[in-house]
Amino acid sequence: MRIDPANRTAQLQYRAAGNPPSSQPDSAISNCFPGLEFDFRNIWRRMFEGIEMHEADNYVLKGEGEYKRLEKHRLLLVADTPTVVEVNGPQTPGGPPIPLTSQGNPDGVWTMEWSNSMAAVLHTNAGKTVTGHFTKHPSPKPAGIPMDPSDPTKPDYSKLEAVELKVLPLFGASAETGEPLAVIDEGRVQPGELTQSLCSPWQNDYRECACYYWAASRPDYVNVEVAENGSSVGNSWLAKRREPKQYVLDDRKDTRLVSYEDLFREWQGELRFIVGGDDHD
Amino acid sequence: MTIRELRILPPLAVGRLGAAPTPMDNYDVEVDPSRPLGNRRLVPASTFEVDPGSGEIARAFVPDELRFSQDGKARPVAPFLEVWALTEEGQLEPLTTELLSRCGASPADVHWRVHLANHKLYRRTGANGDKIEARLDLVDHARHAVQATSEHFWPQKRLPLGHVQYIKPTAEFPGIRLRYTPAGGYVYGSSKEPPDPGGPEDPNIVEVLYDASKGRWLGYFDPPEGAPELTNPAQIYAGKQVGPNWVSKGYLDDECDGLVYVTLTVAGRTLSAYARIGAGAPAYAPDGFPVRTVADELEQAIEGCEVDPEHVTAQEIAAVEEIVRRAFESVRLMNTAVMNGNTVDGQVNVASTMVRQDTGDTGRYFEPIMARSIVDTVALENLHQNLLVALRSGTAPWFADVLRDHDEIGDLSAKGRRKMPAMMRGADGRYLTLTRRQVSIIRAVARRAVSPSGEISGPSEVSGSGEVSGSGEILGSGEVSEKSEAGER
Repeated sequence: MRIDPANRTAQLQYRAAGNPPSSQPDSAISNCFPGLEFDFRNIWRRMFEGIEMHEADNYVLKGEGEYKRLEKHRLLLVADTPTVVEVNGPQTPGGPPIPLTSQGNPDGVWTMEWSNSMAAVLHTNAGKTVTGHFTKHPSPKPAGIPMDPSDPTKPDYSKLEAVELKVLPLFGASAETGEPLAVIDEGRVQPGELTQSLCSPWQNDYRECACYYWAASRPDYVNVEVAENGSSVGNSWLAKRREPKQYVLDDRKDTRLVSYEDLFREWQGELRFIVGGDDHD
Repeated sequence: MTIRELRILPPLAVGRLGAAPTPMDNYDVEVDPSRPLGNRRLVPASTFEVDPGSGEIARAFVPDELRFSQDGKARPVAPFLEVWALTEEGQLEPLTTELLSRCGASPADVHWRVHLANHKLYRRTGANGDKIEARLDLVDHARHAVQATSEHFWPQKRLPLGHVQYIKPTAEFPGIRLRYTPAGGYVYGSSKEPPDPGGPEDPNIVEVLYDASKGRWLGYFDPPEGAPELTNPAQIYAGKQVGPNWVSKGYLDDECDGLVYVTLTVAGRTLSAYARIGAGAPAYAPDGFPVRTVADELEQAIEGCEVDPEHVTAQEIAAVEEIVRRAFESVRLMNTAVMNGNTVDGQVNVASTMVRQDTGDTGRYFEPIMARSIVDTVALENLHQNLLVALRSGTAPWFADVLRDHDEIGDLSAKGRRKMPAMMRGADGRYLTLTRRQVSIIRAVARRAVSPSGEISGPSEVSGSGEVSGSGEILGSGEVSEKSEAGER
């Protein structure tokens, strides 16, 4: 078997002999908040040379050298691509969407995930320099992009600090050819950083969160059948007993569900693998 | 023969924790062509049995049945990492004893280095002494325990992060590979007093490792008023409420991630490569896959976030089918009535849902996302089935319009919240969007030009290698029929 060294996707997807599918990257969730196998948001922390961003926010955690002054500032634009969006929605029944501001979020904005918001910028500018626009001052609270009063469609650059940023490649490079590899660069993410913002211990998250956004890996509704009325009936995955077949809503205190202590002590005996939607050993 | 460079494949391997003595067997996951949204079939596949003493692969076998646990313990997923060589022919090929021999080298010229770490405590406290690290060099074929330490551990205490073994190549299995077996998935603790040699009092932990007189993990709390440098979400550690603070119980686990390096000294040159591994929780529904995965993130980073809509091939159509299938594999295992924010058993706003989060984060009015009648799991299966049929027949341009774009996460209007993927949370804590590349692929497929007879028109290419046929007919397996004669439609 041979693989074209330039075909990085093929290398990424390559399944080594003997490896089950659950060892592959396509078995690991990436809607990380914070994540299961990894908090993959951490691959973006060092997307710019000399700056370490928060994995889930446009907040500068660390700056080296001349970038030290940017610590605690917020990065609002990269090559004129916004890092934040405004949040709008109704506050009354049937009401119109309005800006959802609050004391903690006075501008009513939200930082988009790096993977998507910066996808085009980083893909086309790896190794190059782009202009980043930061808040002029430390900004512990989320900050919106100030718009030009004379042209509200454009940012008011006078209220922002422009900084030239070198985009670091996400992937390592071939020592032979300089071409990018399929492996995330060793300096970009240090050992321990892909899992550092997951729950400690991870077992805690299985009860703490009471959320089911990773159902294909951490199921919620199992042994499901069609009831007589045409709707579904099944068990909560975390239910200690499967009879009667009913869904126990996780209100964080129902003793019919596996407890924190159960998970810490005996998660391997308490949690069931699910195949075909049903319990499986 | 000259080896120009090395690679380790896969470049990112996912290990999964478990205390069972035997790692999980290999298997394939297959789609039933006649039931494209049915549960995938798990089919036992060729599995390596490694002799832990010699380090050799004792045999390759296909198990009679698949068992994910053994004696009440989860079977760890223990991936192999293979070394590949970039040869003078410009292709990557597996590094074997034969290839080494042709280069005047042997397996003894291959060295491995492993660096794994758990930085969960450090991420919270910011104290360098809370970094838990393990470094290991391998020059033999023994099975080595990965024992991590920290400045803030009690003397002689180590956090076991699993095992690594340089597999000894044989005539039958000549490849150069390493196996990583993750740890057992145990919970460890902290104390201010030296650990009791008789074992910990706390039944939740297996051992006390962390010296709370050196570090502050035991008793640590994220500021309750929040701070921008905290993890997002914050306060995600085992703790207890003390006044306004969520105070850490000092627990730590044996999850980790890190780097595996290989070096080969041949003809006076030292070649090297590295790959990444991690150890996380088991995949508890192994016959399904998440709708958005780390593979999607990396593929977008490699290939870009846009595809050419003028060149829709079978590859893109199969990719869209796979996205729909994966979406349904999540839906099938979710109680969608709960996730929709409906009242369940008289309980209102109890579970962690996007509906609840909308109100908690932004003050949006609390209301379910959709009508209850359309979010039951059975109804949603029918919806996804219809979607798949529409995509296959080229009559689903509307689907492209209901996808949520990455910059629409702030739209919490009734219409905005109903976009797809629905009811799920993304990495930014707002409604999930697919990767931009996934969205681009779906739009390209959904909007491809289709004649009233279902025929793809325009520039779609025809080939025998799996690209879209003139008829656009897709087989259940994701393959594309090469039938193009009108009479066969």
